Amino acid sequence: MRLLQLWAFDFCQLLFMNTSDSEEDSYNERSALVQSESPTIPSYNQDHDMSLPQETDSKRRRPVSSGLDEPGPVERERASTPDGEEEELTLKYGAKHVIMLFIPVTLCMVVVVATIKSVSFYTEKSSQRLIYTPFEEDPNSVGQRLLNSFLNTIVMISVIVVMTIILVVLYKYRCYKFIHGWLILSSLMLLFWFSFMYLGEVFKTYNVAMDYPTLVMIIWNFGVVGMICIHWKGPLRLQQAYLIVISALMALIFIKYLPEWSAWVILGAISIYDLIAVLCPKGPLRMLVETAQERNEPIFPALIYSSAMVWMVGMADSSNPGSGESFTIIYKYFFPQDNEMLWVKLGLGDFIFYSVLVGKAAATGGDWNTTLACFVAILIGLCLTLLLLAIFKKALPALPISITFGLVFYFSTDNLVRPFMDSLAAHQYYI
Amino acid sequence: MDLSSVFFIGNIMNLERIPNEEKLSLCRRYYLGGFAFLPFLWLVNVLWFFREAFLKPTYTEQLQIKSYVKKSALGLIVWVAVLTTWITIFQHFRAQWGEVGDYLSFTIPLGTA
Repeated sequence: MRLLQLWAFDFCQLLFMNTSDSEEDSYNERSALVQSESPTIPSYNQDHDMSLPQETDSKRRRPVSSGLDEPGPVERERASTPDGEEEELTLKYGAKHVIMLFIPVTLCMVVVVATIKSVSFYTEKSSQRLIYTPFEEDPNSVGQRLLNSFLNTIVMISVIVVMTIILVVLYKYRCYKFIHGWLILSSLMLLFWFSFMYLGEVFKTYNVAMDYPTLVMIIWNFGVVGMICIHWKGPLRLQQAYLIVISALMALIFIKYLPEWSAWVILGAISIYDLIAVLCPKGPLRMLVETAQERNEPIFPALIYSSAMVWMVGMADSSNPGSGESFTIIYKYFFPQDNEMLWVKLGLGDFIFYSVLVGKAAATGGDWNTTLACFVAILIGLCLTLLLLAIFKKALPALPISITFGLVFYFSTDNLVRPFMDSLAAHQYYI
Repeated sequence: MDLSSVFFIGNIMNLERIPNEEKLSLCRRYYLGGFAFLPFLWLVNVLWFFREAFLKPTYTEQLQIKSYVKKSALGLIVWVAVLTTWITIFQHFRAQWGEVGDYLSFTIPLGTA
């Protein structure tokens, strides 16, 4: 079977002070592709395994998927087809997956940018800060501000590293219930509390009267159906939609509560961390993936976005008793059996950080040029990452290339292209 | 290969390769869950199982799935009616209700100067 997995690293560990542990959970949930803390995935897997005794080992080669927040490496398992054919198929279907991943990433960014541009709440400076960024940025002194943002970044990254290590340890010692609970708490927080805040701000912006009973109904329905879809069984499209919404909510919180310069430095630092954590032999994420692979368990993330593309020539029928069909509904990915099912999974953490970058560009950049430039940069980075995935066939971090391009494009567009375009327009000179 | 179900019309994949009993059980659970003040769950149930219930060739459990889908649709319509009525009443009479109106409000629109 062939599986292409794009693991996203989610820094769930970036949590906010308003939320204690639950945030961490949410982060955990978030990235999911491979390495994130998704010990919960194994637990899902396990539970599922126990409930489906007809699954046989020969049938299942579960892909290792990390699901939650961790930036995922891209992983690939090979089928036993001749190499040339496999390569060709991989690249051919990899391209389709690239397109299929563009859509959710774009949607998430669109939601974030639309909110930033319309609801002023998320761009207002708040005196509240996350405990993860304790140093205040003083706008008066450049040197001091820079120093404080680096210090903030160090604090943030150390929190993330600690969280990742805790996650890996928990996973290694099979504390699946704990991780599972953590995950549920964080998704609860995201689905109820953050969406409540979001709705409140949207209503205030559009000057709409809203009564408590209706609001309670809306939040209750949204939250409960979200929990059901994500943690239990639900339609794939709905689950994908919820994941996009959750990532957007998280990205908005980040945009609001991270101080200006710290946010940019943190984005850069996280990409570097992602690179190290996924590719170094002793990296925590890599260890997570390897442990999951040894145990032959899919790292399922409650929150992993999967572009399920089915390519099948002849589908095995339900005459095949042990096929364990229901698995996929829960795990949202496919276990290729006779024919390959290629699928790519991208962790939610990746969605979140991409959206943070574009959202910040929209919030602080001068105009739409900057925002669009960052958006294009991220998509190009994603393409390149998927290409590398097809070439190297192992778990790869999804953040570094895109974030690097995004940062480069943001700073260069803001400082070089924009004044250029402005003065061209001022002089009415069209090129 | 197992395939996940697809919910919306967009990019339809094969609906469910799960055994019929499990489909029925899923439909039933969604139906029962909707009684916890969750019309959205009923909506999801109707949309998800519509094809299974009405557009597929008959199989044993289909009759029951049909009944669950119909009942979910009924419950959904009732809830939509109730909510629409309440929202209309609230929006219309909020200002007149004075204190009670404010108490019930989550956001109060600001006037323009």
